[in-house]
Amino acid sequence: MIYTDEFFNVLFLIAIALIFARVLGYLFHKLKQPAVIGEIIAGIILSGLSIFIFSNQNFIIFNYTISTPDLGELFQSSEFVLFAEIGILFLLFISGLETSISKLKKTEKASFYVAIGGVIFPLVLGFLSGILLNFSVIESVVIGLILTATSVGVTVRTLMDLNVLNTDIGATILGGAVFDDIIGIILLAFVMGIGSLMDAVWIGIKIAIFFILFLYIGLKIIDKVLSIGEKLLLPKSFLSITLAILILYSFFAYEAGISGIIGAFVAGILIGQNVRSTKIIEDVKAIGYGFFIPIFFVYVGSSLFIDKGFEISSFDTTILFIILIVSMSIVGKIVGCGMGARLSGMNNKEALQVGVGMIPRMELALIIATAAISHGILTGIVAHTILLTTIILTIVTSLLTPFLIKATFKNKN
Amino acid sequence: MVKQNKLIKEFYELKVSQLMDKRVWDLPLIEEKEDIHHVLSILGARNHIWVVKDMDRKELVGVITEHDVLSILAPKHFPSYVFGMPDIRSIQHGTANTAGDVMANKIIMCDPDEKIIDALMRMVKFKLRRLPVVKDKIIVGELTLHQLIRKYYSATQYHPILEDEEG
Repeated sequence: MIYTDEFFNVLFLIAIALIFARVLGYLFHKLKQPAVIGEIIAGIILSGLSIFIFSNQNFIIFNYTISTPDLGELFQSSEFVLFAEIGILFLLFISGLETSISKLKKTEKASFYVAIGGVIFPLVLGFLSGILLNFSVIESVVIGLILTATSVGVTVRTLMDLNVLNTDIGATILGGAVFDDIIGIILLAFVMGIGSLMDAVWIGIKIAIFFILFLYIGLKIIDKVLSIGEKLLLPKSFLSITLAILILYSFFAYEAGISGIIGAFVAGILIGQNVRSTKIIEDVKAIGYGFFIPIFFVYVGSSLFIDKGFEISSFDTTILFIILIVSMSIVGKIVGCGMGARLSGMNNKEALQVGVGMIPRMELALIIATAAISHGILTGIVAHTILLTTIILTIVTSLLTPFLIKATFKNKN
Repeated sequence: MVKQNKLIKEFYELKVSQLMDKRVWDLPLIEEKEDIHHVLSILGARNHIWVVKDMDRKELVGVITEHDVLSILAPKHFPSYVFGMPDIRSIQHGTANTAGDVMANKIIMCDPDEKIIDALMRMVKFKLRRLPVVKDKIIVGELTLHQLIRKYYSATQYHPILEDEEG
């Protein structure tokens, strides 16, 4: 039954969430900061308002009584979470669509070294930090994983402002960020299914089989499949077939036990290589950027107030944890990527510039934290602490990186 | 009307090779590694350039249109809401230096043995006014909407469609 109060209340929340997300996103964009931060803050503000001011209040205007729904509950309703999770699928699908295998093949060796160093060091430092603060092994692995993937948007804008985007350093950072995203997604799939050492081997085999079957064979037959979609001469039928492929890939990846989001990413890569993708890429972005992805970021922000609450007694530990993780994320990238850059023949200063350029974290860190929570790997107060830390990590690294990049390029002629 | 109907059906059934411009030497071609300024000099007069690996073999690897140049010529505003590989190509920032940097490498093309109706449908679907004609990855000609309109119109005026080729 579609005409339920619950259904329309969720629609009301989505409308409010979209407006808040876009307005705050725009304000952050005007401040030369990532719009995503504004959208997450929209979620924090909305859920805060819903809990402390508006929930279940009755407002009487003239003779009309307006009852506001319990927004706190609605944020956690299965309908709202469904939209947010579809947002993750779209985000990874679009990332896959924009990833060019031919460009990856041309990427310099330096980017690969930088990516490997930039994954290993933060992963290990994050893991050790978790263990040090008494988190379990699997929780510590997730903490490490959150620190692996670079979001290159902030760096690109700063390098453009400094007019150094066309240097070896700029190219290495861009290539490295794409590689570490891919490694991060594969590691995430790995962690989602892991339970023991035997599981690790089995998951590794399943990921390999999935890639061979769905990417390699998919690349061989995708042209035929898409040409069938093209022959259905109905409005946007080609887009429908593309979305069906996205959903089917996510479904089969989930059924194979390696997380649906890797299916979305593989589907994106697969379709992105085909010449027909030029026809649908803008439509997919319109649906993703315009609807589902902002809802995901609002959902991430809203989870801060709504999950298991916050224990004042653990305040000191949480602050210590946040400071430790943010520091490790910065040190991990500078040392790991810097070493990779040195191995590829760059000097110390260039290695530092590359390391600093790889510091920002954003969408993949949030996806990893959210996915670990929805898979039950992180629960209760631990989930809350790690999500809070991830949000602060994304904000701090995004704000700090431009200053650090400018400082390292200060003496450039 | 019946005659017109018969004519258009015959027109659809023709092969691309029968109507395409075969003068490859006259097509706007450029090598992948050619400097961006050479690209700009050609596009000052033409709407598009076909990019080939090298001029001897003429293996088609990309296409550059006026629109591609617009995006690298205009000041680069990097969107704050973007995921995946960012497009950083810009003349201002020195990240678009060769034809290979600017070209679109996903090319919608047609085969010389295809029917005209299929080529037309592809032009409609992808909103294109021209298609390269490619055989074994080598560009062997070009099919433009201009040519097709001209050929069809002249056929309606009782000139043979294949007059140019036969003549």
